[in-house]
This record gives sequence, C-alpha cells and structure tokens, in this order.
Amino acid sequence: MSSMLNLQFNNLCKRYRRRTILVNLDITLRDGECTLLCGSNGAGKTTLLRIMAGLEKPDLGTIDFGFGQMKWRRCKKTLQEKIMYLHQQPYMFDTSVRKNLAYALPSGLSNAECSQRIDEALEWADLRRLATAPATNLSGGEAQRVALARAWLRIPLVLLLDEPMANMDQESRLRTHNLLRQLKDQGMAIIITSHDTMQFQSLSDRQLILKDGKISIELSTNQAENVTAFPLAQTSLHDTA
Amino acid sequence: MSSLSGATLDAISLLAGGDAQLWGIIGISFRVSTTAILIAIPPSLLIAFLLAYGRFPGRRLLISVFSTLLSLPAVVVGLTLYLVLSRHGPLGDWRLLFSQTAMVMGQIVLCVPILVAMGHSALQAADRRAWETARTLGAGPLRAVLTVMHEVRFGLFAALLAAYGRIIAEVGASMMLGGNILNYTRNIPTAIALETSKGEFAQGIALGIVLLVLAFILNGLLHYLQGKGRFAV
Repeated sequence: MSSMLNLQFNNLCKRYRRRTILVNLDITLRDGECTLLCGSNGAGKTTLLRIMAGLEKPDLGTIDFGFGQMKWRRCKKTLQEKIMYLHQQPYMFDTSVRKNLAYALPSGLSNAECSQRIDEALEWADLRRLATAPATNLSGGEAQRVALARAWLRIPLVLLLDEPMANMDQESRLRTHNLLRQLKDQGMAIIITSHDTMQFQSLSDRQLILKDGKISIELSTNQAENVTAFPLAQTSLHDTA
Repeated sequence: MSSLSGATLDAISLLAGGDAQLWGIIGISFRVSTTAILIAIPPSLLIAFLLAYGRFPGRRLLISVFSTLLSLPAVVVGLTLYLVLSRHGPLGDWRLLFSQTAMVMGQIVLCVPILVAMGHSALQAADRRAWETARTLGAGPLRAVLTVMHEVRFGLFAALLAAYGRIIAEVGASMMLGGNILNYTRNIPTAIALETSKGEFAQGIALGIVLLVLAFILNGLLHYLQGKGRFAV
C-alpha cells in the first residue's frame, strides 16, 4: 500500500437534465477507512461512486490528492488508475476466471510472476476450483469474489463497491465480508453503498447518509450502533435515508 | 437441360483438373478481396467504436450515412472511382485505372459501410461495464477498446464475413475499375460475366460453383459464430 491517503472531493455537483443528484457535496477518504454510504433509491450513491472512480463527469467540483485542488477532467486518468469501482453485478470478461484475474495484473511482470500472482489470488479468494471455468457462467457470489480478487491483485488506493451483497446467499455474504475485511486490513480505503446497514456495521468505520444530494448525516460506527440499538432512532434514521 | 448438365460436368472437371487459367482467376479474386478487407478493417472498426462510444456533434447523422451506404450499388462506386482515376480525373496521374489497386480501392469503398454499420451495432450492444471494468482495472484506452471488441468478437466476425461475401461477389466496380484483363484483373464475377457472354458456360459454372461454395462456408461460419455468441453471453 502506498503512502498516506488523504483524498478530498469538494463541492461536487451533478444534474441529470432537470433532476439534481448531487449538490456541493464534500467527502474525504483516508487509508484503511471503510465508509458505508446509505441513502434511498435515486439518492445519488452510484453517481457519487462513478464520479469518484473517474467514470462520470460531475458538473462542478474539485479533487485534492494532497497536491492542491484539481478539476475532475484533469485528474480523471489518475482517478481511474488509483480508484477501483465494482459494479453491483461485477462484469466478467468472456474468458476463464484465470484470464479475468490476469487482466488486473500490472504490466511488466514475467509469465512466471503472473502465474504465481494469479495462483495466490485464486487461493486468497477460494477460487482455485473455478480457475479454468468460464467467468460469465459464475454465480453472483463467485463473480463478486473474482472482482475482489482482481482488486487484491491490482491494489487500488480506494475500492468502491456498489451494493456488493445484493441478491447473495448467507454463505456468499460471509465470504465476501471476510475478503473485504482483509482488503481493509491491508490499508485500502473502501466505500460501500448498501441499504442494509447492519450487514456492514462491523466492517465500517463511519456511515454517511446521502439525502437531497448532500451528506445529511455522518455517524461513527459507535454512533451507528447506538442508533440501531434504539428502534425509534433507527426509524427516524431510515426516514432520513 | 442436357447442355446445363454437360456444362456442369465440364465445370467440375475443369476445377478438379487444376485448370491454370481458372485457378489463376480464383487466386486474383481472393487476393484482391482479402487485401481490400484487411485494409478496411482497422479504420472501419475505429469509426464503428467512435460511433458507438463517442459523443460528438453529427454522430447520428454519420450513423445514418453509413447505414444508407449499405445499399450503395457497386456500379455507382465503379463509375465514381472510374471518373476519379481516369486520365482526366483528379487522381489520373497515379495511373491506377485497370489495375488490381483500383479494384482494391473500389472494394474498400464497398465494404467499409458494412463493417462500420454492423460493427457499430455489435459494439453498441456490448455491455458498457466491459469498457468501465477494463478502465478501472488499469487498461489504457487502446487496450480497453480491444477488450470491448473481444467481448463482441462474434458480432464483429459476422460483419467481416458479410463484408467479404459482398466484395468477392461484386461485379460492377471490378469490371469498371479492373477492366477484366486476363491474368491481371480478371476475377471470378467478371470472368463469369465474360464467359457467359461468349457462350462458354463451363468455366462460368465452375467459377459460380466456387462462389457458391464460398457463400456456403461464409454462411455456415456466420451461423456458427452467431450461435456461439448467443451462448457466450
């Protein structure tokens, strides 16, 4: 993992035609910090992640990697290189699991090094038995593990996950949770969007609630636990969300 | 009927006997069309990709233009290029008229719209996540483009086969730009036209059989790839 991360997105604004999605939104990311991003459908969670990953242009806003404020367009390439975005249903290239993992390897490695790194990633994500299987035939949970193994190989500064456990069975959720825990322990900053706050409470350091295009509430894990301990407070939180 | 069966038998014996003139014509046909398609593929796929993934003014108009050019008559291409390449035309000094190069140029003009229009359809149908995943995994623009093309390779192969099938069987442009010169610019379609006009049906039928076999192989490949593409998704 590289040096201390202090990545700031400031004043992000985004509109789709007449609909306002994000309004002057500020967010800061730090090494090894796991952020849970909540909000109702259409609150702008996915849009925010895609802007952060350099996949979607904001109407306004600046980014600070620690070298001063820069416009999104100027640091789009850096964002794509340093930040990894995982779709709700991760995309698998139409080839084997092994080759899907190879795609995430940095260039310049020898064949032997590539093979060894892929073997390690297969072991890490418990995918060894699926190494030669067509990746497009994997179940949702298996595909998510391949996507996380690609992140493990690529080692981005920030990992963005859009509803990573939607439509997963309990076993797959546990496995995914464990893998995310290991990535976090490696120092990777992680942002997860989810409607199910309980699922990620043990993993997340803070919860952000997105409403009306802004972060309306920021809670530390302790505060979030207290909120979920009191049904009335939880209801009001969910209303807000 | 008996003359048809007799001519067909003669045609088969010509093919099986390795008639040098006949196989020379077949060779010219394949050489010219293969050269044309190999030259046309890179720019066509690039244009198709830009039309599918780019956002620029006039994009929709360009898509309509390429779709319209799908039905461009070969003789119109032949006539236009003839005027351009003839002695008094803008490229007359190049002295390309009645050469294989001129035939290649005509066939490129004919196959580019097919490659662009069908390539655009295939690329537009690709999952956007393929491009985004490639970029987020550190692929540069060129590698990401090649990755997306690999994802829709069956659709792109179909475009290639359709384009090849069209240019190898076209007669208008080849006749006007090549001049049907024996052992130089005479290809399968122009030879069939000539032999038929002379009443020499055997060679015409033999060349027709070659075209039919080729069409059969290309169609078979197309169906196979379409089937593979469907199951691969």
